[in-house]
Amino acid sequence: MNTGAIIATVIMWLIFIGALSWCFSRMGKGGGEWEG
Amino acid sequence: MQRERWSSRYYFIFAAIGSAIGLGNLWRFPYLTYKYGGGAFLIPWIVGLIVLGVPWLMLEFGMGRYFQRSAPGVFEGIGKKWEWLGWWAVFCAFLIDTYYTVIMAWSLHYVGSSASVAWGAGEAGAAGAAPFFFDQVLHLSSGPTVLGAPIGALVGFLALTWVVIFFIIFKGARVIGKVAVWTVTIPWALLIILLIRGLTLPGATEGLNYYLTPNFAALGNAEVWFGAFSQIAFTLSLGMAGMYAYGSFVAKKADVTNNAFITSFSNCATSFFAGFAVFSTVGFIMHTLSIPVGEVSASSVGLAFVTFPVAISMMPAAAGFIGVIFFLCLFFLGIDSAFFLAYGGVVRPLMDKFGWSRTKTTAGVCGIGFLIGIIFTAPGGLYWGPDMLDRAVCFYGLLLTGALSCIVVGWVFGAKKLREHINKTSDIKVGAWFDWLIKIVVPAGLLFVVIYGGFIHDIPEAYGGYQMGILNGSHIVWIILIVSLGLSFLLQSRKTKVPVITSEESEVSKK
Repeated sequence: MNTGAIIATVIMWLIFIGALSWCFSRMGKGGGEWEG
Repeated sequence: MQRERWSSRYYFIFAAIGSAIGLGNLWRFPYLTYKYGGGAFLIPWIVGLIVLGVPWLMLEFGMGRYFQRSAPGVFEGIGKKWEWLGWWAVFCAFLIDTYYTVIMAWSLHYVGSSASVAWGAGEAGAAGAAPFFFDQVLHLSSGPTVLGAPIGALVGFLALTWVVIFFIIFKGARVIGKVAVWTVTIPWALLIILLIRGLTLPGATEGLNYYLTPNFAALGNAEVWFGAFSQIAFTLSLGMAGMYAYGSFVAKKADVTNNAFITSFSNCATSFFAGFAVFSTVGFIMHTLSIPVGEVSASSVGLAFVTFPVAISMMPAAAGFIGVIFFLCLFFLGIDSAFFLAYGGVVRPLMDKFGWSRTKTTAGVCGIGFLIGIIFTAPGGLYWGPDMLDRAVCFYGLLLTGALSCIVVGWVFGAKKLREHINKTSDIKVGAWFDWLIKIVVPAGLLFVVIYGGFIHDIPEAYGGYQMGILNGSHIVWIILIVSLGLSFLLQSRKTKVPVITSEESEVSKK
């Protein structure tokens, strides 16, 4: 793969992994309850 | 009466991800990325996800949870005169499902055909992949006026698809959530197998360069932004009524926003990942057959049922195995979208409106869906179902109901009221920016797509170049839209058996 394609790949995975990690780290912190 | 509930938060997230992930993740996103600037396309795509997809998904989850109803009940709750909008989305969901399941029937057909590489191995097989699909599987006719008799094998696979859907949804959300865990993780696992196989083929790197090499000059082209926004509009299964119902199965004090973020990002990560499997295979075909990328069909039906079979024919080893894996992957990618459309999109709205039992409603919807789908298994069915009907309901219907829904919720119900409702119990608090996205940006984005990608083409020209007597392809599209809209007003005029109450009202009554 060329440099541009590699950079695009790395940036996108950083975005996805970062965003999902942050979302999962927030789970249960909003005061909501699942039951009911 | 207690609303049905997801068994756990993870079941809900898996169900929502499964409904969002579908065939488009595999056969639309990678192609658009290649076509519209490679890596540069990812910028408008992510922008579209944040400003259009995520707030729209929050809206559908949040409104479903607020009214504890599926789409028609949500809009009836806003005002009786808006109920038709929910029904219009229900008709779109149902009609999409009638031909979507036919594509899944093709996939099942190919699971069997792939095991023996029925279209042939080697270069002769590669040349025979397209005739095999169009002539031997579809028996494709010369045009929509030549419909012909349904193809027996396809009718059988279609029946099997609807039976599977029936058994998944007839017990409601609790079973759907458990099944979704499998229907999401299995295609992920199959995509990994396909990626490994793709990356080990000669020419794979060349294909990936076509997929992701950035061309930033493309960002100045409005069509690139249209492509990105349209992909976001279609990829999250929004505007198809079902997400309101899925949101209504969420507990009254549970999170909305974080679930919407997780669903959206998981769906888009799957699209991005699938692109590697697709373009490594495209690169292999270019390398093996010494043809330019422009001659390889890299999107839609052509990608799945012609390009991949060509690659399978040319594979040096495990061709049949990879073929079975690919078409199973296609089936699993589609099945959770199909049962989402059937249950959240159609069955639950009918139950909410008429108080019918789940089993009988499910049987009726699956039965009628199957009967309509038989039309699309005929030699001319491709033109009517996955083409013209798709244009009517999955393009115009989805975008118009989506834009109007955002306008009604944003301006009539109140975007601020919705935001305050979801913020009370959500893990991620959304700011006032949400209001303006719902009131202006999302409907404007959707209307941009529908005008730029639809009306400016289909009004002056016949859609698909089809001509059927005095009617052309565009006329058929308008007729489908107008008839479904008329039926939506008809359903609005019927009395709702189960009254709509908001989650706030139900909390007050409990106290």
